[in-house]
Amino acid sequence: MPDINEKVAQLENFIMKKCLWQFHSRAWDRKRQNENILGMAAKLLCGEEVDTSKPEDKCYWVDASYLADSYREKFDWLSTMSDDEIRELMLALKARIDFVTVDGSLNAELTDPRY
Amino acid sequence: MPYHEFDCSKCIPERKKHAVVKGPEDDLTKALPLGYLNTIPGSISERGCAYCGAKHVIGTPMKDVIHISHGPTGCTYDTWQTKRYISDNGNFQLKRTFATDVKEKHIVFGAEKLLKQNIIEAFKAFPDIRRMTIYQTCATALIGDDIDAIAQEVMDEMPDVDIFVCNSPGFGGPSQSGGHHKINIAWINQKVGNVEPEITSDYVINYVGEYNIQGDQEVMLDYFKRMGIQVLSSFTGNGSYDDLRAMHRAHLNVLECARSAEYICNELRVRYGIPRLDIDGFGFEPLSSSLMKIAKFFGIEERAQKIIDEETARWKPELEWYKERLKGKKICLWPGGSKLWHWANVIHEEMGLDVVSVYTKFGHQGDMEKGIARCEVGALAIDDPNELEGLEAMYKLKPDIILTGKRPGEVAKKIRVPYLNAHAYHNGPYKGYEGWVRFARDIYNAIYSPIHRLSYLDISKDEIPEDGGFMTQRMYSDVNLPEEVTKSDSMREYTGKYNIIDDLHKKEYPEFNKKQ
Repeated sequence: MPDINEKVAQLENFIMKKCLWQFHSRAWDRKRQNENILGMAAKLLCGEEVDTSKPEDKCYWVDASYLADSYREKFDWLSTMSDDEIRELMLALKARIDFVTVDGSLNAELTDPRY
Repeated sequence: MPYHEFDCSKCIPERKKHAVVKGPEDDLTKALPLGYLNTIPGSISERGCAYCGAKHVIGTPMKDVIHISHGPTGCTYDTWQTKRYISDNGNFQLKRTFATDVKEKHIVFGAEKLLKQNIIEAFKAFPDIRRMTIYQTCATALIGDDIDAIAQEVMDEMPDVDIFVCNSPGFGGPSQSGGHHKINIAWINQKVGNVEPEITSDYVINYVGEYNIQGDQEVMLDYFKRMGIQVLSSFTGNGSYDDLRAMHRAHLNVLECARSAEYICNELRVRYGIPRLDIDGFGFEPLSSSLMKIAKFFGIEERAQKIIDEETARWKPELEWYKERLKGKKICLWPGGSKLWHWANVIHEEMGLDVVSVYTKFGHQGDMEKGIARCEVGALAIDDPNELEGLEAMYKLKPDIILTGKRPGEVAKKIRVPYLNAHAYHNGPYKGYEGWVRFARDIYNAIYSPIHRLSYLDISKDEIPEDGGFMTQRMYSDVNLPEEVTKSDSMREYTGKYNIIDDLHKKEYPEFNKKQ
């Protein structure tokens, strides 16, 4: 069983190779995307309900459910984790994605105030 | 930072920060080149200008429009042959190109009268076309011609016409990408919201950042129609001017090329609350998950699954045939902004090719983030390369093929590296399941071309072998393959037609009753 850092690295690698939502063009967009999509994915992995009544939330859910389904399919170790452990793991993943795409990013355009 | 310094660019030290090698321990906070900056003096860039990015990339694929450049005729050269964004109305936008033919005297005395005369003349020459886009160029921007005023004058005099003005002169940004930005914002400011569309489905999208290169848009449109989705507008390939004025009524913006069209999606989200969903239309797995995501948004997953199952069963055996023969071949992914990240991972996973380099001439750091994240360790990522750097990279990396545009592609051929046109395609479309097989077929044909093999011999000095016969592609590609591959019943070469688009025009689609 990999430790939490290895697990985060595996989950991060999947996002980087297969997803596009984490690379919106501005810092505030990226934070919003990361928060909503990873937050919803965490809930889905824990079997919790998510609110998709607004179109914006439904769009986050579409990416979140793809992520959650793919994670369950590819990473067997997820099925051995409790909901609390999954929440902790997803928080660590969000911190890592925030760092790579926003806080530690070398992309000089992220802070442009306009689109 | 794992910067890469080219020998040929040691005399331009600023170039060093524009290339990185992705190392085994590197993430994007350690390996990212500079990007979307003014070209460094002394580096002969291969970029296009902001006018080109506005007109030739985004404006002109609109199909039912007179596209006119207000400037010298030379500015508007990109048309039939160099561009291949076809349309289902006889390719009007490719066959006809218009310019006001500005000369020195107009620079001195002004070119507004000339512009008005040209607009009216063009509308009279093509009475069936009542829509026009006008593009500012460097010369007319510098003399301060007021294109908006002239366009309004004409619209007042001819109430049945509508004109869009794009102020994106060539100098209006570091590269063509500056023009992408300008035309996105100009379109939403001037035109979106002006037309109310007929809504025929419960599921309505704008298909954005798709330019119908050799029919890509029409392939994707086929899937959407099979799912009962109304594509309100296509921004802009095979797109209609008036449909694009109605973008505000879609339920979802489905975005392909974020580099060229994310701006309008972002603005549509902020102004009209329409969410933006980024998708990948290339490759079996990314396309399948993209179709499923769109279906999930509307709650019609079973319709997407049916398409995924049918198309995968039909085309996967053919993709596998090529994958067996392409495995381990080295490829330089040197297309524009978006294709480097659309392809960087899936071309490795689904065709077995090893991406040894990615580059973009005009992309932003955001494009490089996606490309570097998706390619494998060891790849050389280059921003805005000059021709000498491209040559040096090819000599060093020894790729089996490069995917790039027409101009750098011809340079590659000179040093006997096969090239495939990643911008306008060789034998596209490349989107969709069948398109992805066509892409693999074209890559295979390029790498194993017998003619290319002959070109390695220099008849002025090499000894020409006379003991062997003519070699075919299969003789080259299958020489080291095991029998279970060469005699496989489950894999086969591409069996599609030369032209797969015409049949789509005749196709009938299921009717789905509208609920609301």
